[in-house]
Amino acid sequence: MCAATSPNVTRLVGQSMPSLEAPDKAAGRIEYMADLTVPNMAHAKVVRSPLPHARIVSIDASEARAMPGVVCVLTRDEVRADPDVEEVYGFVYRDAPLVAMDKVRHQGDIVAVVVADDLDTAEAAAELVDVEYEELPAVMNVPQALAEGAVQVHEEFFPIAPELRPIEGTNVCHHATIGCGDVEQGFAESDFVYEDEFIAPPVQHCALDLHAVISQVEDGQITVWTNCQSPFPLGRELERIFKIPARVIIPYVGGGFGSKSRDRIECVITAAAKLAGRPVRYIFSQEETFMTFIRPAYRNRMRTGVKKDGTIVARHNEFWVDVGGYAISGARSANNTLKVATGPYRIPHARVDCYAVYTNKPPSSPYRGLPTTQHTMSYEAQFDRIARDLGIDRLEIRRRNLVRDGDIHITGDYLRSAHSHECMEQATEAIGWDEPLPVDPEGKKVRGRGVSCTIKYTLTPAREMSENSAEVALGEDGIFEVRIGTVNIGQGSDTVMAQIAGDALGIGLDSIRIIHSDTYRVPVDSSTTASRSTYHMGRAVVEATDNLKPQMLEAASQLLEREATSLVFTPDGIAQANGDAGVTYGELVERVGSPLAATGDCVVGGSYQGPDGNSYPIASTFWTFGSCAVEVEVDTETGTVRVVKAAASATTGTAVNPHSIETQLEGGVGQEIGPTLFEQLVWDDGGQLINAALLDYPLPTMETMPDYAPRYVDHPFEGGPFGAKGMGEIGAVVVPGAVVNAVYDATGVLFHEMPLLPHKIVEGLEGQG
Amino acid sequence: MNVNLTVNGEALAVEVPPSTTLLDLLRDRLGLHGTKEYCHSGVCGACTVLADGKAVSSCSMLAGQVEGADLITIEGLTPEEGLHPIQQAFVDNFGLQCGYCTPGMILLAKALLDENPAPTREEIIRYMGGNICRCTGYAGILRSVEAAVKERGSWS
Repeated sequence: MCAATSPNVTRLVGQSMPSLEAPDKAAGRIEYMADLTVPNMAHAKVVRSPLPHARIVSIDASEARAMPGVVCVLTRDEVRADPDVEEVYGFVYRDAPLVAMDKVRHQGDIVAVVVADDLDTAEAAAELVDVEYEELPAVMNVPQALAEGAVQVHEEFFPIAPELRPIEGTNVCHHATIGCGDVEQGFAESDFVYEDEFIAPPVQHCALDLHAVISQVEDGQITVWTNCQSPFPLGRELERIFKIPARVIIPYVGGGFGSKSRDRIECVITAAAKLAGRPVRYIFSQEETFMTFIRPAYRNRMRTGVKKDGTIVARHNEFWVDVGGYAISGARSANNTLKVATGPYRIPHARVDCYAVYTNKPPSSPYRGLPTTQHTMSYEAQFDRIARDLGIDRLEIRRRNLVRDGDIHITGDYLRSAHSHECMEQATEAIGWDEPLPVDPEGKKVRGRGVSCTIKYTLTPAREMSENSAEVALGEDGIFEVRIGTVNIGQGSDTVMAQIAGDALGIGLDSIRIIHSDTYRVPVDSSTTASRSTYHMGRAVVEATDNLKPQMLEAASQLLEREATSLVFTPDGIAQANGDAGVTYGELVERVGSPLAATGDCVVGGSYQGPDGNSYPIASTFWTFGSCAVEVEVDTETGTVRVVKAAASATTGTAVNPHSIETQLEGGVGQEIGPTLFEQLVWDDGGQLINAALLDYPLPTMETMPDYAPRYVDHPFEGGPFGAKGMGEIGAVVVPGAVVNAVYDATGVLFHEMPLLPHKIVEGLEGQG
Repeated sequence: MNVNLTVNGEALAVEVPPSTTLLDLLRDRLGLHGTKEYCHSGVCGACTVLADGKAVSSCSMLAGQVEGADLITIEGLTPEEGLHPIQQAFVDNFGLQCGYCTPGMILLAKALLDENPAPTREEIIRYMGGNICRCTGYAGILRSVEAAVKERGSWS
């Protein structure tokens, strides 16, 4: 069967090409959730708690129900009265009731759902739902939640993922530790020990395509349309809660950045649809998204012991992540970043403690890189302080400590494709690191440069389900249909998978059709998160084509009455090696009379045999290394910081679509400039979020855009599809550390708190004077 | 109330409640889904359309305010075959990722190039700075508009 081996020729992989759907997007022809309707659809308005923490005394929805046009009102009473509905949602941490049962745990918590014939009626009726609350003391941040005698947000804990370990009797819903060596011995052996604390406030993702759901419960079957990032885990959760089959369909998604990865709203609206007896649509408002899922508040206390030459001997990180009122996502997100909290450095003695803490803030969710971004800011800022204190060049101290290919990570993993040095050299060179800085003749504006380096994991193993599959089917029209669970969220996944499938089959893009993210039409996949799709789904696609080829050869062999070994694949069909007539792909499937299809799997996790013959655990299927170098301008009078140049570099493995990689890096950098310089959610003393509207919450614009210089290291990664690995988050992860360090370089002040707001810069400069 | 207006070249008379926004008129009444909604407060620009050649946030205008106006949405900019040169520039220069802000961005660029056929980079940045994109970091959008400026001679 030598003819069946995958061709090693890459004609599509490695080419820069716009996404397949780009023309339709430019024409405004792509349908997102808000553009979809189904027949007989009713509309929902969610009644949300105005208080951060309160006991529900009573809910009176009788007036709302009596309003003409109202279909039904879902409250705790209806949920409790239905024996076929489980009350609590959560496939990682099961702590979120569909609607509030005994109490509300954050401002915006779901109390009731009003369903009406039209949205205006639903909104008007929602005003009539009378909820009596008994206000409880609220813990609005981690210090309050950890204080002696603090009120408990949850009295009981319900972790689902096995690695999640709450501390009973506290608000700590998860604590975990990893380490290597003996950290106390390491500090004792150090010449100097530095201790710093870094903090970053919550922000929101602001994906423009608002989270939305249509749910239909009909004939014992749930069908949900949503722009969720995890269709299969959601489908299984719907089936667990409602005990009937569920299909989840995801259209094109207008950005998520983590905000749509784990919300419970699909299950809530399904309960409403079941009660209504007709399909129900719900679309979040922008303000509601700010009270639903946010990037968590973060604090990191870090001690680092070094030798006089800057070599790191020991590091102990303790970090606290504020998961808000429900840990449905935040606890595991925090836990995942244990693996990368010490950075891309050789550290013989290291320990990391992670605390995920309940508060009465909105629930937290991943945000493009999770707290890896804040970890990177912390260890990189401290590293520049150490370098300056020891009189060592900032790049040199990193060169002395950065991991190299083959090093053993804190997790015990054997690091492959660890080209962290190359990333740093590329990024710094790209911004002209050694060139003189421009000088402001008026002396008001000062410039500086900064660098950061990072290491990022991917979701491993795929926790909710260990299988990640793709299916490739040859249809009667001669088109190969590639069926994938990956959600097309704007990252270009359809295009990358078409490139990979095309080269695996030796065919052109014209012969490929992508079917994505419909749980009844594509095989299982865990989620579109954590920069995982190119690697995992790409591998599954390659394996599916490898499984399909023998079927095609066998079929062609029978049709042509020739030995399979005498046949060869061509872009149009299967030919005979001797030049005699072959069969096109269309003819092949037509004459066989049934579709030809095969699946491929990518199973990850377990262990890996290193070149030394030893077995190493796989805490991450691959590690992405990255670096960012920036030049900033600080206005010393106003305190305004402008990022002038920014070069992010990442290890990508084979670059499947090089220009797409560059634009992912640009986009990541551009997005993270907001939380670095000016974005933050603010609560008043009464626990009210005061800037939930975009009018009060500035986002990066074209005017805050730096000159970008994206770079990548494209050494093929062994095991990846055509040598590729993932990189979707890394451009964002490296930004705050580089900017903090550039401001330090420009002003001599090291800031320990994001964002770098003008008044803080001015205060910092005054404090220095 | 009754509103008379021209949408993508077609003269229309529509009866709407007085509180109807232009965005709702376009999306819900006329089914023109290429105009998008996010902030509903005139900040993000996803709902940008052209009214008498000027870029406006349709979420922040009432339908009654466009009485007699000539409106162009992304559907009206798109030719029957292929794409408008500005749209093509956004495709060729990776000026979009998720595509949600794209119709508004393209119409904003159209308004810019109609007003100023040869804008400098600084003028493009100032003009386009009003619309939000969360994916691209704006670099691809700037490249797209600059490419469209270069091609400006070939279309009107």
